[in-house]
Amino acid sequence: MTRRAAFLAVLLAAAGLAQTVPSYTQLVYPPLKQVKIPEPATFTLKNGMRVFLLEDHELPVINGLALIRTGNLFDPPDKRGLSSVMADVLRSGGTHAKTGDQIDEELENIAASVESSMGETSASISFSGLKESAGTVLGIFKSVMTEPEFRQEKIDLTISQAHSGIDRRNDDPQGIAEREIASILYGRDNSYGWNIEHADLARIHRQDLQEFYHRYYFPENIMLAVYGDFSTSDMREQLEKLFADWHPQQPPVPPFPPVTAKPAPGVFLAEKSDVTQTFFSLGLLSGTLRDPDYPALEVAVHILGSGFTSRLMSQIRTKMGLAYSIGAGWGAAYDHPGTFRIVGSTKSPSTADAILAARSELEKMRTAEVSEQELKTAKDAVLNGFVFYFDSPAKTLARVLRYQYFGYPNDFLLEYQKKVAAVTRADVLRVMQKHIDPANLSIVAVGNPKDFGKPLSEIGKVEKIDLSIPPMPAAAMPVK
Amino acid sequence: MNFRALIFILMPSLLAAQSVAELQKSFEKKVTEFTLANGLHFIVIERHDAPVVSFHTYVNVGSVDDPGGETGLAHMFEHMAFKGTPSIGTRNWPEEKAAMDAVEKVYDRLDAERNKGPHADPKKMAAIANELAAAMEKADSYVEPNEYDRVVESNGGQDMNASTAEDSTNYFYSFPSNRIELWFLLESSRFLNPVFREFYKERDVVREERRMRVESSSQGKLIEALAATAYAAHPYRNMPGGWASDIDHFRRPDAEKFYRQYYVPANITLGIAGDVNPVEARRLAEKYFGRLTTRPLPSQYRTVEPVQEGEKIAAVSSPAQPFVIIAYKRPDRHSPDDAALAVLDAVLSDGRTGIIYKDMVRDKQIALGAGSDAEFPGGKYPSLFLFYVAPSSGHTSEENEKELDRIIQQVKTTKVDEETLQRVKTKLRAGLIRKLDNNAGLASELCSYYVNYGDWRKLFTELDEYNKITADDVQRVANTYLVKEHRTVAYTYVPDAGLDKEGAK
Repeated sequence: MTRRAAFLAVLLAAAGLAQTVPSYTQLVYPPLKQVKIPEPATFTLKNGMRVFLLEDHELPVINGLALIRTGNLFDPPDKRGLSSVMADVLRSGGTHAKTGDQIDEELENIAASVESSMGETSASISFSGLKESAGTVLGIFKSVMTEPEFRQEKIDLTISQAHSGIDRRNDDPQGIAEREIASILYGRDNSYGWNIEHADLARIHRQDLQEFYHRYYFPENIMLAVYGDFSTSDMREQLEKLFADWHPQQPPVPPFPPVTAKPAPGVFLAEKSDVTQTFFSLGLLSGTLRDPDYPALEVAVHILGSGFTSRLMSQIRTKMGLAYSIGAGWGAAYDHPGTFRIVGSTKSPSTADAILAARSELEKMRTAEVSEQELKTAKDAVLNGFVFYFDSPAKTLARVLRYQYFGYPNDFLLEYQKKVAAVTRADVLRVMQKHIDPANLSIVAVGNPKDFGKPLSEIGKVEKIDLSIPPMPAAAMPVK
Repeated sequence: MNFRALIFILMPSLLAAQSVAELQKSFEKKVTEFTLANGLHFIVIERHDAPVVSFHTYVNVGSVDDPGGETGLAHMFEHMAFKGTPSIGTRNWPEEKAAMDAVEKVYDRLDAERNKGPHADPKKMAAIANELAAAMEKADSYVEPNEYDRVVESNGGQDMNASTAEDSTNYFYSFPSNRIELWFLLESSRFLNPVFREFYKERDVVREERRMRVESSSQGKLIEALAATAYAAHPYRNMPGGWASDIDHFRRPDAEKFYRQYYVPANITLGIAGDVNPVEARRLAEKYFGRLTTRPLPSQYRTVEPVQEGEKIAAVSSPAQPFVIIAYKRPDRHSPDDAALAVLDAVLSDGRTGIIYKDMVRDKQIALGAGSDAEFPGGKYPSLFLFYVAPSSGHTSEENEKELDRIIQQVKTTKVDEETLQRVKTKLRAGLIRKLDNNAGLASELCSYYVNYGDWRKLFTELDEYNKITADDVQRVANTYLVKEHRTVAYTYVPDAGLDKEGAK
């Protein structure tokens, strides 16, 4: 600013005139403060359980998360759903000393929680409690992990609820689309793509739960992370004592079954009469985070369908007004191919138009390079937003735990950041051409074909999805 | 009861009261508040652990303020707030503005013809509609699409979104803390000088949102029917998404008028939480938000819902599995009974020890899920205390309704035990503590408490009110408000089985 201009500014300010504000393009940002990335303490208990501890003294709270190397992918083919039933009753079925109902009361009296859950490739037991009652919560957490009783009445409750859940599975059109695209992409004959049916549940018994539990829930197969308001040395001592008497052993757990599905291109229609919108999903098998093309694919699919500025959003929502919700994700998984999907919903009459528009946006990404501005926006979004990966100790600890669990290097994220920064327009075009072939797309539409404008056959050969729910075989009806 | 046991019961409550006061005292040091001359209020919460900041704009306007025949307009404005300003989102503002005004002129002619009713000429209307499409296309050709979003995204903005409820409209996202000034610039600009570009395309998007949330969801349809039935006169009868025909009908000038009336500085509160210097925040607030001019606050008066004269029923035909909601009239959140109702709600359905879960889900197993909600759909005006049930397979809605009635009778006639009451209070306190380490949550909560109660400290002091609630209070409010004459029962039924259901009523 020259002296004259400065003088003028003072005059204007004195006259009470409104300050002029700059354009956003003129703003200059100070460098971002260095992020303090806390280093968790890691050690292995005498019984073989890996532990990660991170102090966080902001609030008088202590939280923990144990990851157990198992998952839905280990369900036996004739007892689909076993792992989830097991995880549920692990908590609700109580311990040797206490019923699940007693544990509910004891925990809630001190505003604490212990929860058990089963995912596709990991199981977890978590806890949360106020510092003032940390000892009690840890004790219950340990009992739930080490001496579950699997009381029959709670097995019955969980299975009865699972039956009700199956009966309700066709009520939500979006849920149908998500479920069916996964079944089509992975195949219905394996744990990646099959549905749990009434007949499966009828074959699940207490002994199955106990066997599943004993096979996977042992110290060397568990990683435990604890964070919150404690001192690391005290917590370490406490955990050593707590788990001193628990040392069952099992052979190492094998890898998850490989994905063997082949592409199933085509259009699949699930009819639903009580909707005014069609929910659609276009997908194919993607890859893992280890794929060298993963960073470029993330950038490419970001440009295609992530957030409000993506091509799908700009074209189908903003310009065409055909959808409220539309987007895409590359969907890489840690240890097996995930699924790439474009998902959205549109009014019944514009079903085919919206799907064709989405496919056309995908094709454009494979025929010409994206613009310099699109690339910059996508990369800037990742790079400028990077600090949010590190904005709480809990996030940092959860990430370290996940990397350890899946065997990724601790600096995976920093390497990812570097690779994103290096992605070029040519890379984007190359990975789109290499990994996403529209000819391989499976397209699922859930809606009311009576109201469709153009028939779906304009997109491709249509195969109907049978949504009917197989009833419980009479022989398997429970005897009360 | 012996003395030892008495001490045991009293102790936690004493401890609880003490530590909340301490918590408030230490939290207080992190909070700075100021009000600009134009009436805008700022709440700044310092948390310097990580170089990130979350922003929250709480506007005291919601679907209760939608004008008659224009339901969904508050929500429509929320969408327009992402469309930019005269300098963001355009390739040539003067020409774009002229083209946008031309759209309205053509639209006026279309409406004029439509207003002739049976005398309207369909051919003429079709011709004007074509003209309208061309005029819109011309206006849209000046648009730099989604520029506002792009600036936020490319600067590392996270979780940008907005929501419209009955009582409020909220805008929020987070930035790395070196981008604080950018938020001040962008946020003040969109409320200083919003440009309602692509209005009619966005209206279609809003219409799609309604199809998704309401028309294609059996629970969405049920909740809409519940509100429309429970309320005869108060605007809580309309959902924030609005009615389909209103969305297809309202126009850009309607939204502009709505904006001028309700987006008044004194009606807006801004929360900033994270790595922020309050002195710097104030300087930037003056510089950017000082540009908004003072305007009078809009009226808070809304038609008062008359006393309900008897039970009402809403039956929604749906092939989906059944779902039931039973909703009782209750006073607004400033009622002296508000805290007792919150405690009653927690006693009934908080966690796995709530009466409803234990009885209906766990023990009798007649429901897949069931619970209660003390305040629906809002709290600024008298609202509903509701119960919901998803029956288990093989169990009917009637069976579940009867069991709910039995539980309600039980809380009216039997006092809740001390252990349960104490547990609920402990959980409410822990719930507060767990809220305090999240920038986005803090920015939102403190704005909400400030607007609704006049002071963000109510977030802490309401615990004192909960702690004072006795078993007598809980029983009294159950008897006062859970009254059959003042309730609405809404349920879904499978079309063919519908007659049986009605016959049973």
